[in-house]
Amino acid sequence: MDDKELSDRVQRAATRYQASDRLRASVVTQIALNVASRDEHVPKRTTVLGWWSGVGVNRGSLGAGFALGMVLTLALVWGSVHLQGTISPQGELVALHVRSLGAGPLYEVASSDRHTVKPWFQGKLDYAPEVVDVSSGGFPMVGGRVDTLQGRPTAALVYTARKHFINVFERPSDGVGEFEISGHKGFHIVAWRDGTMQVWAVSDVESAELERFAKAWRIATSGR
Amino acid sequence: MNDLRSFEAMVLPHLDAAFNVARWLLRDDAGAEDAVQEAVLRAMRHFKSLRGDNARPWFLAIVRNVCFSTFDERSARNEQYGQAEDEMENSQWRAGMTGITPDDILQSGQEKALIDAALRDLPPILREVIVLRELEGMSYEDIARVVAIPLGTVMSRLARARVRLKTWLMYAGAR
Repeated sequence: MDDKELSDRVQRAATRYQASDRLRASVVTQIALNVASRDEHVPKRTTVLGWWSGVGVNRGSLGAGFALGMVLTLALVWGSVHLQGTISPQGELVALHVRSLGAGPLYEVASSDRHTVKPWFQGKLDYAPEVVDVSSGGFPMVGGRVDTLQGRPTAALVYTARKHFINVFERPSDGVGEFEISGHKGFHIVAWRDGTMQVWAVSDVESAELERFAKAWRIATSGR
Repeated sequence: MNDLRSFEAMVLPHLDAAFNVARWLLRDDAGAEDAVQEAVLRAMRHFKSLRGDNARPWFLAIVRNVCFSTFDERSARNEQYGQAEDEMENSQWRAGMTGITPDDILQSGQEKALIDAALRDLPPILREVIVLRELEGMSYEDIARVVAIPLGTVMSRLARARVRLKTWLMYAGAR
């Protein structure tokens, strides 16, 4: 067999693997998110001091800058304490959902594979969140991150439902939470308990679809 | 911003090629999909390094680098469990190591399965040049850019890969 013959056989017979629609969709999503997060009009989530040093204060005004920074920090701390007292749980969930899609980050670990996402939380949280594959129900996962809910580090998982995103927040709870659907400013929230975890799913998809997502999740975990 | 919009136009047409290369290197669907996604993220960060060049070898170079760092992670993980296996050098080429003998395949009369098995059994550094050349139809110059090796090395790796493939196929035919 000469090289030409070998080439012909390989070219004719070897499998040429093709990207799945799911991969294509998640790449398009990735690019779109990156475009959105680089948009100048979207405020970046940085600390006050980080922001201040980013402005480029010269050494002469550093003292004044620091003093101003302290004032801003105190104002922010007071503001967030004040807000925590008044914002509704639904409002906070929706705010986290919106912020993750706007300023980001939407996820800190990008993967559709639960065996990649679940171990990523190791060492970042003092509990092991459920990471569930519901892609067969039409909800592929795109990644996860650690967010802050009611001042506590909380696991956040991100799924897609066609062109919409679903944020799932999860943390341990002793309370008895029933399956509950609520709305807030056009967003929908489904809350349920899964073993020792309290779970909330937040999205702008139709409430029936979000309910379908929650049911797919519960079916997936009930078999374990 | 607009840069990233043109990024989409530059990269999406090569998604099949990217997946094909990653799938052949990593040999599983989920790993290949993760590698392509990681490559897209890296490519976005380094988009400025693409200057009026052909996007295809540029993007495929990132994809193959992600795949090879996955090999490093996998072999590090294997060493941890005391089953060090050097994917890079250790050829799993000897037929039989994959569990399917060329004999079985030949008898089933599937040329496709035979060729795929022969390619799969090449060590990764030879497999990648064959996949880029024969399946992606790339020029020697572009392969040199993707793999970041001199043109002469591309030629010698291709030659070595072909010798191994022919031997494998001959062995399959002789039995």
